[in-house]
Formats: sequence, structure tokens, C-alpha cells
Amino acid sequence: MYSGWVDWSRSSSPDAPVKQTPGSSANADQLHHQPCSRSMCMHVSFPMPPSYTLTSAHPLTHRPCASLTSPPTSCAPEPPKAPMPIPMPMPLEPPRLDHSSPLNKQKHTKYFLRCLKTFLPPAYTSNDSNRLSLAFFTVAGLDLLGGLDANTTAQEREDYIRWIYRLQLPTGGFRAFPGTDLGDRNRDEATQEWDEARYRWDPANLPATYFALATLLILGDDLGRVRRKQCLEWLPRLQRPDGSFGETLVEGKVEGGTDPRFGYCAAGVRFVLRGVEEGGLRGNGLEGVGDVDLEALVRCIRRAETYDGGISDKPFHEAHGALSFLNRLSPSPSPSHPTPTNASTTTPTRGLTNPSRTLHWLLSRQTATITLSDDTQTHSDETDTAETCHDAHTFVHPSSFPSKQGRRMYEDRDKRDNEGGRGEGGRFDVEWTGFNGRENKVADTCYAFWVGGALDMLGHSNLVHTPSLRAWLLDRTAHPHLGGFGKHAADLPDVYHSYLGLAALSLLGGEVTEADKNRASEDEEVKALTIDGLKPLDATMCISKQARGRLRGIWKRWESENESSG
Amino acid sequence: MAYSDDPEWADIVPLPQDDGGPNPLAAIAYTEEYSEAIPYLRAIMAKNELSPRALALTEDIIDMNPAHYTVWLYRAKILLSLKADLRQEVEWLNETATAHPKNYQIWHHRNFVIDNLGSAEGEAEFLAQMFRIDSKNYHVWSYRQWLVRRFDLWEQGELEATEKLLEEDVRNNSAWNHRFFLVNGREESAGVKGTGVREREIKFAQDAIRKAPQNQSPWNYLRGIYDRAGLPLSDMKDFAHEFASLDDPDEVHSSHALDVLAEIYGEQDGRTAEATKAYELLANRYDPIRANYWNYKKATLTHGNGVAAA
Repeated sequence: MYSGWVDWSRSSSPDAPVKQTPGSSANADQLHHQPCSRSMCMHVSFPMPPSYTLTSAHPLTHRPCASLTSPPTSCAPEPPKAPMPIPMPMPLEPPRLDHSSPLNKQKHTKYFLRCLKTFLPPAYTSNDSNRLSLAFFTVAGLDLLGGLDANTTAQEREDYIRWIYRLQLPTGGFRAFPGTDLGDRNRDEATQEWDEARYRWDPANLPATYFALATLLILGDDLGRVRRKQCLEWLPRLQRPDGSFGETLVEGKVEGGTDPRFGYCAAGVRFVLRGVEEGGLRGNGLEGVGDVDLEALVRCIRRAETYDGGISDKPFHEAHGALSFLNRLSPSPSPSHPTPTNASTTTPTRGLTNPSRTLHWLLSRQTATITLSDDTQTHSDETDTAETCHDAHTFVHPSSFPSKQGRRMYEDRDKRDNEGGRGEGGRFDVEWTGFNGRENKVADTCYAFWVGGALDMLGHSNLVHTPSLRAWLLDRTAHPHLGGFGKHAADLPDVYHSYLGLAALSLLGGEVTEADKNRASEDEEVKALTIDGLKPLDATMCISKQARGRLRGIWKRWESENESSG
Repeated sequence: MAYSDDPEWADIVPLPQDDGGPNPLAAIAYTEEYSEAIPYLRAIMAKNELSPRALALTEDIIDMNPAHYTVWLYRAKILLSLKADLRQEVEWLNETATAHPKNYQIWHHRNFVIDNLGSAEGEAEFLAQMFRIDSKNYHVWSYRQWLVRRFDLWEQGELEATEKLLEEDVRNNSAWNHRFFLVNGREESAGVKGTGVREREIKFAQDAIRKAPQNQSPWNYLRGIYDRAGLPLSDMKDFAHEFASLDDPDEVHSSHALDVLAEIYGEQDGRTAEATKAYELLANRYDPIRANYWNYKKATLTHGNGVAAA
């Protein structure tokens, strides 16, 4: 009998967790999930719950379906979820690139299955309004691990798809969670017409709409139920005169900060729904659907470039890793608009002002400052010491050391000098490094993706110091017992960092052979797994290349529908 | 008291949430309090009720789920409709911001409230309190920039405030960035091109670098000032040499100085050998994390000048 998360996860029992029926108890659930223990970084578009510690008691109260659901007919007689068959195939031993721990695919798969098939703990309540984001991380994580089809039935996947479509609004776009769906009260009682004025408090949400489309793609849906025309008509209405995008449209007003994450989501939605079609859309009543102003969006992003080569959310705001990623990305998902790297040589109004400074800034985010004590010890210390210069142990003459690594780096410096300072045992022996989001901040798992993804899009991911980054992700931020990834070294996992940790690992790929380079077919490329046994990631959409590849068929179908109807 | 037991709410029929089963995604084991309150919120939002009890309920919901994007907008509408005391709202916001320092929506709301109040009174104390929790909180710094513009606080001790924060922590990049904004972000000011400003800012950054040469923030700041002022990077050569000697590889005290020197020599005809040497020192000894990058820069150097590196 299943007896609780802790025993289960520690004993690595193959028993699958199930969503429990009311009345059963699961204590010590604190170990089940750790929603972002310390909110040090700005979570772009997916703020995680506040502090949630092991010692605080959060009894998990299991309910059928969701606690807020009342009409019993809608979900109540839901039987307990069938025990999941996890006769999980043992992961193939990946070839070892370095000395880091291997990726334990089985444990990570179990982590994501817990997120998928059991209730997230109460601490996620503060992220109730981000349900679609949480759903995306969960489904996309299982997909990267290659565990989605193996551990879910076709019926379950169709249920997930239906759940997402229930969040779609008749007027286009998706709400971010069921909480704003006020049901029939949104329909005009007299005329039974959908009246947008009555949607005042149930607006479509831009990031949610991107996550909905991306999750549907991963689940193998054909997007046939997407209200494409309405969504494409809604999209330009979210753009402000300065080119930036808001999050929602409430009573005709664009709401939400001026934040490039919205621009990214707009570019993503436009890319998926407009697809290969340049400019005007033909057929199916899609003629004349206006487009967003891409030029204005790019101008808006360029204005947010900072003096140090990074990119922020607004002119003069501080450069930020995730924002730099988003801005690298914003104009690029459309094939008709080349990535800024290419664009900068062809079209002066597109692309970064100074790509080489941005490259410099991005690569400067890789750091050996990986624990919070490393970070906080810089405070009130105005001189260079081992405590303050974690990336410079080899030449700063310290009086004490914050970490064993620092001590070893320093004490072995003469030895390394004698060895010529190259390769194993030389000065390259930086054991663990992560990425931070801003200057002089501690490494955070999510930035391994945000910065790694931006570098990938710039075509320079080969410049990352890969062995130490992989070692940090696998040895320090992956949870050895529970699976998943935490925000910082030794943190408990949460679903946001768990997905982006996997995404970052996937981007590290493996050693590219000549045979890889010569592969003619893109299909073959997506089938190949990375060195860690993950599906290769498409950094621009932050989903597997395989999932993104399904767009081609969908666009082709839309084209032919257009031709037959137009 | 539970809403269902409260006479004030007796007339409201709760509107429960339909989670859309079977197999909803990201289902959360909501707390009892949240489960109880949300159907009441949904019921009065469906009616668009703009009342004191609705205001109190939004407060309760925000405390449990501060990321609720429509409840904040709803609250703002209620405040305006009731002509509520916005000072009281600020007091409540101060507590809420402390409890949820990383929440996003709260700052949007604060902008709305303070903008409507038309006064930045008390905001300096509030910011100081937030910086005591985290002196690098992105939202707080962005909000501070908005305050400076909205209330024309450019000359109201802001520059001195960044000095103080940088005295406490010379590596606080947010404080460096704020300084750059104060110096250059004012439309009607000449910024770093103004008389004496350029010299002042260069000296400020140089002094900070002399304190801690391996601190990347003031190096980036210094370069930013040079760019903005239209000064050639080569003017920084003597200063950078204070921290890095290419003749004596043991005498390097800052990888950032080497980086600057590499770039300066890389742009000078006939000095490729020096640039190459600087990149090699970075790659092999002083910044091994970025070895791939420095080697790439070295290779670009050779190609760029059409001159073989020494």
C-alpha cells in the first residue's frame, strides 16, 4: 500500500503515485514539491510561491477534482486515478562526457508524473492564476524525458487537451486558470450573444495563450479547436503604441506591465497561428485579419538595451538574463522575420545594436558563485577576497574560503601552473558553474535555460563551459531522491525550475559528430537524443524539436483548407 | 469567520469553480481558506459588485494568491468607485509588499495608487524598508525609476542614495544601474556629456574599481559612461594597466582589466600580439570559465585584422 511521498521516493519504489481519494491522507507532503524556496530571481511570467519550508506544516487535503468545484456532475464522481503503470524502461546508460552524475531519468520522470497525476501541494495556491504555466512545465518536462506517451493513456491525453480547450474564450485567446471562468454569466441573458463587455473579469491572457498552444502541440493536438481568427484579431489589440504588449485587455484597456515577456508570447502566438503565411491570411474568413506591428516591437526591445550589453524590460532598467533571452527571441519565431543575428547584417532596424557586447554579457553570466552564502558574503565587503570573487579563485589572494572548491582552486594553483594550465587538472578544472540572471548574483537553475537559450539562438552555445554547467545541474540542483530541480544548489524541487533545468540540459546536447552535421533530414535530427538521453530542445519555443516539428503539418492543413475554401 | 457563516455575505450565492475534470492539469490542493473564499469572489465579480465588502474580500484573496491578475484590476476599480482613502491603501500595500516581495502585480497596483494620490510622500521610507529585505529586488528598482520620473526626484538625494548603497555593497549592480539612469535618463539633461559630469562619473567608477578590481559592475559602468560620452575605449588603457600587466603574467589583479586591454589592443594596428596575449591569459589562467569565449575572441582577432597572431 502506498504510504506517503517520503517513503515512496526514498525507497525508489516503482509504485506509482495516484491522485488520492478523499479521506486518505498523505502527510509529510512537504517533500513532494518545493515551490521555489527562496524567491531571489525574478520569475519571468511564472512567479513561484513564497517561502515554503520543510518544517512548516502544510497538510495536504486531497479532494476529488478540485476543491472549488461544486456541481458534482462536472467532476465529482471521478474515480481515483488508476494506479499508473510505471514499468519504466530503465534509462540507457548515457555515455559519460565528464565526471558529473548521470541524469536519473527515472527519478525525474516520477517527479513530473507526481505533478501530472496528483494534486500539487497547497503552497502552489499562490500560483493558482498560473495554472496553464504549471501545466506546460509538467507536460513539457515529461515530453523532454520521453515519458509522456509511455506513462499516460490516449484518453488521459485527450482529457488534458480538453482541459486546455475549456480555458479558451469564445472571443479568442485563453484564460490562465479556471478561476476566472464565470460560466454562463458571461453570456448576455437577453440575446444569448457573447458580449465582450460582460467578460470584464474573464479576459484572455497572453502568456496563458502561448502556453496553451505550446502544451497542445506537445500533447499531439492538431489545434483544430483553436479559435484562430478570433485569437489573431485579439492579438494586435494587446499592443501599445510604443510597440510593447500587455497581458490582458480589460474594458478596452491594455493591462499588465511593459514587459518583454508579453512581446515574446505575442510573437510565439503569432508564429503558431499565422505560421508560414506571410502577411494576409487567406480563406476561412481570415482575410483582412490585422497583424501585430513587428517593427514597433523590435524598436521597443532595442530601446531596452543596457549600457553593459544586456537587455532589460524598459529603457534604463537593469539588464536581466531572462529578459535578454526574451528579447533575443521576440522577433525571431517567425520564419518570415529572420533572427536578429541575421537581421542585423541585412536590415538595420532589426536586431541588436551591438551583438558582440550582448554575447559578452550573456557569457559573463556563467559563474562559480553557486550557493547563497557565496552571494551574501559579498555584502559589506569592499575588497577582493575569496568570499567576494568566486570566479577568480585562481588569482585573488584570500584569507579564508567560503567553499571547498574555492580552497582547492587556490591551493592547487601552483600545481596547475606547472601542468601548463590546460585541460583536466589544469586551471580549467572549474568543478561547478551555473548561470546567474544579473551581475554579481548567485547562480539559479532557470538562467541556465534563459541565458543558454539566448546563446543557442545567437549560434554561440558552443562557448559555454559545458562540463561544469552539466555537473552543477546534475550534482547540485537536481534532487537526488525526489527528482526534479531546485532553484539553487541543494534546494528542493519545484516544477518551474525542474522543467527549465531539463531544458538547459537538453540544450547542452552532446558531442556533435560529423555524421550529425551531415544529417540531411531534420526528422532524423529530432529523433536523436542528447547525451543525457533527452529530446533535443527548440530554444525559441522552449519545447522539444519534435513537438515544434508538428507545426509544419498543421500549417499545411490550414493552407489546404484555405485553398479549398478560398 | 467563514464567509458562509458571515451574515454580511448571507445574500450571496457562492459561485464555485468548475475545474474541468476528469484529469485537470496542474490541479492544486487548495487551502481550506482559499477554497472557501474563491466562490464568493467569483459570485461578486460576476455581478461586478463595487462595495466595501468586495474590497475586503479582494484583500483576503490577494493575501493567498497575489498573482491573481484580475482581482487586482477589480480592486482598483472598487477603490475608484468608492472614492476610498488611498493613504490607507498604501499602508495595506506596504505590508503586502513585505509579505510578497517578488510579486509582480503589486507594483502595477502601487503605481496606480501613488499616481492617483499624486504624492511620493513616505515612499523613500518604504523603499528603504524593501531594500533591507533585498537590495537587488528588480521590481523595487523599476518602481523607484518610475517614482523619480513621475515626481521629478532627480535632484532629491537620489545620487547620494546610490552612493550610500554602494558603500554598503560595492557589488550591488542594481544600485550601479540606478546611478546610470540618474545620470543619463533625464530627457532635458545633457547627462554624461554635461560639464564635469563625465569626469565625476569616471572618477566614481575608478575609485570603486580600485577598492575591488575584480568587481564586474563598475567596469561595465565605466565602459557605459565611455560609450555614452563618445570616448574611445583606448583612453582607458592606462587605467586598465594599473590592474594587469602583459609583461608580467603574475601581476594581474583583475580579469576585467585584461578583457579591456585585449579589446583596446585588438583594435590597434600592429598590437595584435598584445591582444592575443591578454586573451591567452584570460583563457588559460585568469578566467577559465570563459576559456571557450576568450579563445573565440582570439581567433576572431586573427581573422579580423588579417594578421596572424604572434
